[in-house]
Formats: sequence, C-alpha cells, structure tokens
Amino acid sequence: MAYPTATLDVIGLWIGWFLMLMIYSYPLYKENITYRFAEYLFIGVTLAITIITNFSNVMRMCITPLMQGNLLMIVPLILGLMIFAMLIPEYRWLSRYPIAILVGAGFGLGIRGTIKPNLQDAIISTITAPTGGALLDWFNYLYVAVGLICSIMYFMLTFEHSGALKTPTRIGRLFIMVGLGAYFGNTVLFRFTMLTGRAQFFLQVLKLIPM
Amino acid sequence: MSLGKLANIDRRVFYWILFIALMVPFLSPIGFPITISPNTQDLYDGVTGDQVAEGEVWIVNFGYGVSAWSDCHPSVTVLTKALFREGAKIIFMGVHYDIELTYNKLQDTCRADFANKVYGEDYVFLGYMTGGESVIAQLGSNIKSVFPQDHFQTPYDDIPMLRNVVDVHDIAGVISSDTGDYGGHFMTQWQAAYGTKLAEAGIAMNGSTDLPRWQAGNFFGVSVGSRGGAELEILIGELGEATTAMDSISVSHLLLVIAIILGNIGTLTEKLGGKK
Repeated sequence: MAYPTATLDVIGLWIGWFLMLMIYSYPLYKENITYRFAEYLFIGVTLAITIITNFSNVMRMCITPLMQGNLLMIVPLILGLMIFAMLIPEYRWLSRYPIAILVGAGFGLGIRGTIKPNLQDAIISTITAPTGGALLDWFNYLYVAVGLICSIMYFMLTFEHSGALKTPTRIGRLFIMVGLGAYFGNTVLFRFTMLTGRAQFFLQVLKLIPM
Repeated sequence: MSLGKLANIDRRVFYWILFIALMVPFLSPIGFPITISPNTQDLYDGVTGDQVAEGEVWIVNFGYGVSAWSDCHPSVTVLTKALFREGAKIIFMGVHYDIELTYNKLQDTCRADFANKVYGEDYVFLGYMTGGESVIAQLGSNIKSVFPQDHFQTPYDDIPMLRNVVDVHDIAGVISSDTGDYGGHFMTQWQAAYGTKLAEAGIAMNGSTDLPRWQAGNFFGVSVGSRGGAELEILIGELGEATTAMDSISVSHLLLVIAIILGNIGTLTEKLGGKK
C-alpha cells in the first residue's frame, strides 16, 4: 500500500491521524473536549453505518424478494416489526413471540452441532495419550488431564469440598485461575496489538516509515 | 524513591512509555526470531499443495472489523494469496458493518494476485450477513437464500462461479478470521455436520479457544493473532505487515511484564512495610 496521492485521500488520512490523537489524549493526558468530540463523532458515525447496513440488509433479504412476489417474506418482516412492540408498554407482550422464536431456533441449532465438536471431540482429544515420546508432550497431557479432572470436581457443588475432595477442588480452583489469567492475558495482548497498529499508522502518516 | 511507590506510578507514565516504545521498533527494527508453530504450519499446509485442487470453491469469512486489522488481516492476506495461487476460487463474505473497507484492504494487500483473477469467475464478494449461528446454518442449506445478490447487487444466478454452488456440499473449505466466534459457528454447523474443512485465523484473544479445537481435529489449522500472521508470511516467503509489527508487539509484551513485576514489587513492599 502506497501513501495516497489524491487530495481527498490525504485529507482523510490526516483526519484519521488527528482523531486518533484526540482519542489517545484521554489515556495520555486526561479527559478533555477533544477526546469527547472524537468519542461522540465515533459513536455517531458507527451508529449511522450500523443503521444503513442493517436497513440495506433487510431491503436485500426481505423487502426486495417480497416485492418480487415471494410472499413468505411477510413472515420475518412481521416478526421483525413485532420486536419494536417492546417500545410500547401496553403491547410489549407482542415482542415476546419473535424473541421466543429466536431463542428456540438458537437453542435448536446450537444443540444440533454442539455434542460432537464441543464435547465428544474435545474429550477424546483430552484423554488421548501423545503418540510421540517427547517429554513435553507427556507433561502437557498430564497437566491437561489433572487440570480437567480437578476443575470439574471444583464445580461438584452437591458435595462439601472437604475430606477427600478438599485437595483436588483446591487444585481445580488454581487451574481455573490460571486459565482465566491466560484468557485475560490474551485479551490484553490483543489490545496491545491494536495499539501497535495505531503506532505504525502514526509514523506512516508522518512518512517516517513506508505505508 | 522507596520501592513502595512503584505500586502507585501514574498510569499515564506507563502509557507514554508504551506509546513511544512501540514506535521505536518500526523506526529501527530489532529482528526478534520468529519460529513456526505447528498449528500455523498445519494451516499453511492445508491451503497449499495437494490439499487444494484447482477450481475448488473456498469461503473466506471476514469476522473482524477495521479495529482488528493488525491482528487478523496479515493471516487473511497470506491465506488468500495461497488459495489463489493453488487455483482455488474464493467467496468473500463477512459479519462486520465495515466489511467493505476490509475487502478493499485485501484487494490492496493482495494486489498482484487479484490482478490475475477475474471478478465473478475466480472470486466474488457476497458482502455483509447477520444472524449469528442461524445464518451460518442457513448458508449450509442454501447460500443463495442468504445472499440473493452479491455486494454489488449482481443477482446470484448471474455470477458465473456460483452457478454450481448451492450449499455446503459445493464448498471445499472455509477460512474464518474472527474477533468473535464465527469459526465456532462454522464448526458446529458445517464441520461437525458435513465434515467441511475449516480453519481459523483469529485474534490472539481467541487462541485459547481455537487451539483446543485444532488439537481435537475440528480446525485443520489455526493462526493466532499477529504472531500467526508473521509465521504465515514467513511460510509463503513474503514478509509483510505482521512481520514488521512483531518487533513492536514483542516490545509491548516485554513492557507489560516489566510493569507487572514493578507493580508487584511495589505492592509487596507496601504490604510488608505495613506489617511492621
């Protein structure tokens, strides 16, 4: 990608650069009017794009086929409109029907494909011993096996976590904490990657590094 | 300065150090070594060589928006290049409002490869879809019902490469690149139900979810964040955005570790001091 040459593209690039600095003025300095301006602008533009995209989607998938004679499309259209009934207190009950259909369809579809990949395959993968003789593979295998069993035991809430259950449930809690820590760490690192992208953009606009 | 003050450093100081430190590797690359993870190798192997036949139709799902370009886009760029070079046809689609920007960026980052391809015959951009797992299930039954036209309003039936593409059985494989879990939806609705080849090239945050799925054989490969993108760039032999950014990302991780250590030293010192 080369540095843009068209005037409008260059203007767009610099607007993006200044808006980014306005947003970063909050963590780097403190809340201020430029940050507020950029924040409101972002929310407004995002909302506008969301509305336009979804409206176009409804037109494309529902209204256009309906106008072309596909009368079945009246059903999702009416169901979609019924959702808005929740805005009128006395007709709020109408919105429960489309929500019930959505939830029911969601559960049905979810259950259809969940058993094999999320349970069966995951369990088989966990209990299958490594084929190679590498020490690290065996360590991982035992680590996951112990972690899985102890973590599941931690959620056995019908028994008091004492006696024989005391040690494994405590180990299970440790594993859960490590797991959540790893998940949180990944989240933070993703944010840092986003920040890296912005640092790169900052330098690219100033032509200090190639675009 | 007593060590206890380390626990109370103004966070803005850290942000300034971080922001400046992230820029340095771009100006003066360090060149940290990058090794290839087995999950990334599997992903690359799955879209090259005997694994892809000429004329096969693949789906590339943009499950990320502009904000995740730095994490997801390098992987998608390499995978698109690899599939095109094996002669595969690609259907692009996505679930974010700004999907057109991502598609345009892909055209830019894979410019040479797109130049050799014809829109409608070798690739098509179906555009935006919404509906979560339901829409993925519906795609499996009838793609045209979700996309009666492509993004540019061309009717589905008028697109040459889609004439024989009706449902999941006509798709050779799916690459989903996500900030959410559309890869998981493809897994439950396509891979588990029909055995479709499926791979994920998501953000780093999704790594802990995606890697067990790769180990279980549900994904034939997984690319984790920018790191995965950098590995793929090495594998295809064309270094790009991810490789450039990796030094900076590594510095950010290093700074975070230092900040955690300093903060903990400060907190421990405060606590020990308090006990006295």
